[in-house]
Amino acid sequence: MMSPPKKDNVFRALDRKLGAVAEFTMRQYRTKLSTWVILGVGFIAIFIVVLFYVDSMQQEIEAIDNDGDSADWDGDGYPTGQERIYGTDPNNPDSHPGTFTPPIAPDAPEKWINEDDFDWDLSARGDTTAGYDDDGDCRLADSTQSQKDNNRNNVECDIVLDYNEMRGEWSEPNSDKLVDEDPDEEKYAKEAIHRAFLLAIGKMGFVFLLGIFLPLFLATGLIREEMDNSTIHFMLAKPIARRDIFLGRIVGYLGIVWPYIIGMGTIVGIISGFAGPGDGFFRFADLGMWMAIIFATMLATLVYGMLFCALGTLWKRGIILALPFAAWELGMAILSFGAPSASILRFSVIGWSLNIIDAASLVVWPNMGLFISMGMWGGGAYNSDFWGGTQLEGAAALNAFASDTGLGISPIATIVVSTLVLLFQAAVLWLVGSAIFKGKEIE
Amino acid sequence: MMPDLQQVGEGETQQWAPNITAPVVLLENVSKSYGKIHALSEITLALSGGVTGILGSNGAGKSTLFNLLMGKLKPSSGSIKLFGTDPWKNPAPYARVGFVPEHEKMHDWMTAHGFVSLFARLNGLTREEAKSEADRVLNFVGLSDVAHKQLGRYSKGMRQRVKIAHALVNDPELIVLDEPLQGCDPLARTTIMNVIRELGKMGRTVLVSSHILHEIERITEQIVILHNGRLLALGNLHSIREKMDNIPHTISIGCENPKELAKDIINNDAVYGISFPSGDRLQIQTHNLNAVHRELPALIVANGHKVSSIDNPDDDLESILNYLTGGLAR
Repeated sequence: MMSPPKKDNVFRALDRKLGAVAEFTMRQYRTKLSTWVILGVGFIAIFIVVLFYVDSMQQEIEAIDNDGDSADWDGDGYPTGQERIYGTDPNNPDSHPGTFTPPIAPDAPEKWINEDDFDWDLSARGDTTAGYDDDGDCRLADSTQSQKDNNRNNVECDIVLDYNEMRGEWSEPNSDKLVDEDPDEEKYAKEAIHRAFLLAIGKMGFVFLLGIFLPLFLATGLIREEMDNSTIHFMLAKPIARRDIFLGRIVGYLGIVWPYIIGMGTIVGIISGFAGPGDGFFRFADLGMWMAIIFATMLATLVYGMLFCALGTLWKRGIILALPFAAWELGMAILSFGAPSASILRFSVIGWSLNIIDAASLVVWPNMGLFISMGMWGGGAYNSDFWGGTQLEGAAALNAFASDTGLGISPIATIVVSTLVLLFQAAVLWLVGSAIFKGKEIE
Repeated sequence: MMPDLQQVGEGETQQWAPNITAPVVLLENVSKSYGKIHALSEITLALSGGVTGILGSNGAGKSTLFNLLMGKLKPSSGSIKLFGTDPWKNPAPYARVGFVPEHEKMHDWMTAHGFVSLFARLNGLTREEAKSEADRVLNFVGLSDVAHKQLGRYSKGMRQRVKIAHALVNDPELIVLDEPLQGCDPLARTTIMNVIRELGKMGRTVLVSSHILHEIERITEQIVILHNGRLLALGNLHSIREKMDNIPHTISIGCENPKELAKDIINNDAVYGISFPSGDRLQIQTHNLNAVHRELPALIVANGHKVSSIDNPDDDLESILNYLTGGLAR
């Protein structure tokens, strides 16, 4: 049955040649065992990390009584914190709220663990105060005015937060004594570990590992393998420019790699959405992060695909040329954690890709810097460990994987600029790669 | 769109129009060298219409010539034009060219129909057009009934026919076949030869390369002989042959009783020598091959000889090359 000829729009015209090369490439890759091995290895690598994450989310984090007021110092059955509130002497076994009329029953010691959690407004901007003395040990009647306000901001029992505009970071919280000094370790750690996991797997797992290794193994041979197998002759004998063959091969490779990245991102996103901490059954807010991770990885595989395909076309052992690039990008990835505004990062692909994830993390989790600074402070001197550190579990990890966008513009503008730069890089590499291919004599 | 870097008119292949006054294939002083090795030297050639055999021994430059025609190599000097357009700069003429590469490797995971129809889309056909075009060309080479089998399961002759089918998509005016008969069984050879002859009859310009004279002889009379990268001869095989007929030739006849046959044949004026290499074989030396071949069949029938074979061991490319180069080719 003949259907009337459809009008030839741009897409149908493209479908004739470019679409044919892309479809051919996808079908070719689907029949190759090596494709499935590479995708399978990527899957396993990502899911080993996911298993560690899920395991850490299941583990209970020990609740520490940072201020030690759950202990019954005098052995009268009343925790120290309770005795302080009622004004009895925590060191005298005969002085306790049981002697009151009517007598007050002693609290369970657990009630005085994690009883003074963070009361911080994470939407705060600029210099501000935070904190509330939940257990009342700062506001004790017998404390002097200067004891209640030893940060001297004329507000009793609070914490002063300073935002340093120049360095773009929060300075260490300046707290009145015994305010928010016994935080809920588990609550903070789970949130921090969850965020650190998303940033770590997004940056190192998706953008670096998948973003570099999939193109390294799948894109380097796009033109080269056809040349080595002499099967490129079938394509070269057709009225199609080599530039379009190059592009069609890349589109076909993306037709395999992009759905894989979207699939992996979705699966890991759903797992972390359910396993992560939160009041709801699912962390819907994180979806923005996952969209950014998937988007950044897709752009990275596009740019690296163009680069590695060009290197493969240039030389039979293009993968040897590609390895120094991979090493350079790894170095840039590590640099971006510590010095996100280093100008050398602009000469990399990964620097721009990671910018997208960092920018999204600032949109999805407002005041990331304050949240990290809160965990690094961890309640102040009352809970310092053997080395004098006071940070809560998870804060250091989050501090390592989170960074500013380094461009000095708003997160949304950072995403737009980074996307445009990556697309520009891809276009330049496409032209360079097709020029190499075009000048290649093939026998 | 992106700026054009090197290519002239590339990307506008749809609008490309051939120069109708130009020959289909035109080479002017084309040379191709790799360092000090000259693969082709100063080839000038214009071809339009009919089947042309490109003859040459291995390394004579046949594949180099085809690779230059197909825009895979850039000539070191000289100019190449297909329908008046330089193929290295602009792939548009390939809309009217079909190419059968020499290489054996194919995409073994594809079916013949899938392979032909997918690559037909590179000619600018839509999916539907490409499918019906694949049906047509596979039918033309006689592979309709196995079109949906994987290429990996095909015999060599069938694979060659798929390659030819792939080249015939869009009914090209120029078809270039690089050693299409190599490694094929006799049946496949006959089929492929018929296909090539048929294309010639349809008025297409067909270039076939081979290093075996008899193959080309069964396909066409118009030949080009390449030797060490040079164009040695160009023209009608028979006229070359007629000149060769007057130089000494050997005919080898396998028969039951060579001595009896020798007695009968020695009377022919053209025969000047006879020998018996083995008990069932007779060798005749002649300086007029045609005269002997004219009389031999009648003589055999009249005297009731039992003949199993008649060969001309000299009648191959090598002897033509020898003749044309005055013995330098050996």
